[in-house]
Amino acid sequence: MLIRVNNLVKRYGELVALDHFNLEVDEGEILGLLGPNGSGKTTTINCILSLLKYDRGTIEVFGRPMAPDAYESKRNIGIVMQNVAVFEELTVEENIDYFCGMYVDDHRTRRSYVEEAIEFVGLTEFRKFRPKKLSGGLLRRLNIACGIAHKPKLIILDEPTVGVDPQSRNSILEGIKGLNERGATIVYTSHYMEEVEQICSRVVIMDRGKTLASGTKEELKAMINHGETINVELYALKPEDLAHILQMPHVARAEYHDNHLTIRYDDGQHNLLNLLDYLKSRDLSFERVYSQQPTLNDVFLEITGRQLRD
Amino acid sequence: MFMHVFKYRLKCLIRDRDTLFWTAAFPLLLGTMFYFAFGNLMGSSGGFEPVKVAVVNSPEYRNNTYLQLMLGVLSTAGEDQLLDMTLTTESQAQRLLDEGKVAGIITVSADEGVGDSGSSPARLTVTQSGLGQSILKAVLDEYLHTSATATSVLSRGSVDVSELVARLRNRRSYTQQISYSDALPDYMLGYFYALVAMAALYAGLWGMRNTMDIQADLSDKGARRSVAPTHKLAVVMGDWTASLLISFGEMLILLAYLVFALKVDFGDQIGYVLLTCLAGCIAGLSFGTVIGTLFRKSEGIKVATLVASSNLLCFLAGLMYLDMKDIVARKAPVLSYINPAALIADAFYSLYIFDNHRRFFLNIGLLCGFSAVMCFVSFLRLRSEKYASI
Repeated sequence: MLIRVNNLVKRYGELVALDHFNLEVDEGEILGLLGPNGSGKTTTINCILSLLKYDRGTIEVFGRPMAPDAYESKRNIGIVMQNVAVFEELTVEENIDYFCGMYVDDHRTRRSYVEEAIEFVGLTEFRKFRPKKLSGGLLRRLNIACGIAHKPKLIILDEPTVGVDPQSRNSILEGIKGLNERGATIVYTSHYMEEVEQICSRVVIMDRGKTLASGTKEELKAMINHGETINVELYALKPEDLAHILQMPHVARAEYHDNHLTIRYDDGQHNLLNLLDYLKSRDLSFERVYSQQPTLNDVFLEITGRQLRD
Repeated sequence: MFMHVFKYRLKCLIRDRDTLFWTAAFPLLLGTMFYFAFGNLMGSSGGFEPVKVAVVNSPEYRNNTYLQLMLGVLSTAGEDQLLDMTLTTESQAQRLLDEGKVAGIITVSADEGVGDSGSSPARLTVTQSGLGQSILKAVLDEYLHTSATATSVLSRGSVDVSELVARLRNRRSYTQQISYSDALPDYMLGYFYALVAMAALYAGLWGMRNTMDIQADLSDKGARRSVAPTHKLAVVMGDWTASLLISFGEMLILLAYLVFALKVDFGDQIGYVLLTCLAGCIAGLSFGTVIGTLFRKSEGIKVATLVASSNLLCFLAGLMYLDMKDIVARKAPVLSYINPAALIADAFYSLYIFDNHRRFFLNIGLLCGFSAVMCFVSFLRLRSEKYASI
């Protein structure tokens, strides 16, 4: 167990940011900490890093209590902040060298680590650039390089893709998977469920400082009582047809609004095939049909009654 | 670790053009402006100019041997020359006075009558008051007093005139003048000393930046540095040493510019001048560190607070109005002892003007005390390693 957070309570005056929060991170996994803005993800990270005081609970990292002077534990942690935290006056290479140098004393080792980090995030041709000359995506990559250059065993990434274009985002996510393949354990916080679904081996969904659910993606989706959702663009649908669709096997809910038919199934196979057969038999013309598997957003919606991005 | 932090801090600060402008270029520009504004006044108060006076060459004057003798002695060229006398007609004297070419006119005419001793009451004509006019009045008062005494003594009879004249010429002073300095007082130097004090306090911008970059609750860089396995003291000392080196370097450049380019006189005690600069930089840095730690506002508000408070302290030290320093010393003397700008300026002044170092070391001691208090307040804030909120 790399991180063990037990009954953590953090209050900001009257506001309870973390309410008896528990978390366990195993070695080698990519743990996604998923929750809407203000759910307590960053507060959790700051408490784990011993930056924030907390009111109650215990935190252990690498099996030892975490404290500001737990240098041995800190030496094996890499942190990628939510905001880009680099020096504007230093070049890409100097920034990485500076932060790496706070962990690695040996100059020669550090040089090779810096080179690897620059190459890893794809900033080789920008190594002499100052941060203000970099685009948003490149800045994010620099931010990551500064956090991982010293080859930590545990890497904590706090919403590292906020404000990043899709291409850079994919590149960052692939990089994170690469770090994990090299042996690093990753804690990844985000309010983007797609990212968490894409890279995380285990997910903790939190809201209002509490753990709502945790498990693998499949385990979480199995917690909710519906399967796929089928959407059909239809120009006309009679009430009796809608009533008939509702009677079809495994249909949990069916709605028709603005020429869109949305059917949610609780289970079953060949649901799409059965639906299309029915539409043809009733001679109902349709434009576009697509099926959606349940997402973590559906899980969050099911548990809280709110969308993840509310 | 210290060297690693120090090296990169030095790079960061040297490349911080905005702060470099305010801490290095701005004092140089202001010094140049002072030079052009006060250049013609600098050194003028150091040497005494003889007072120009017109004396009406009337028959009564020509008959007044004592006044002729007295004015002649006072107008003799040399270090002690008090008057620059022009013997002329009454109308010409009036013209010179009207044109402002003389400070006054001394007239001995028949109207005033002639004394028994051959001396006559003299009249001084001036059109305005001032130092020159006051000197002329003092000279005439002295003449009148002496001639009246002589007349009175002679009127009693049986007096040896030569002995009387000898006694009048041999005045004995019962007070002794002791000079604290060989330096010539120069009013304008105070502006330049206050300017150096301002540059020292502007070093606070470096101190403030250090604070912003070390505190996890003030910046993301501070948070990133706080999670590193490095003792906070090593980071603080690395940052501080780099800042001190930069600000002291800036101070040396300013000093060299003032001394060699603008010919501002800082005296010849270079070691003590440098000590004042160093103590000033430390005071400025610690002052900026305190401003940086005291409240959690944006960097812009902190910079504005620091610059405004530094300027206020410099104003009270006489940067914009030199007499302010004396006004504060008289009306609120405590303020003079706790104002770092006043202490720096006064340290330079006392080095320049006094031959002993008592006042200088008092200023340096108070400056060190100010820095110690600021560092202690900063320490109370900077020692936090965990924060209530970020």
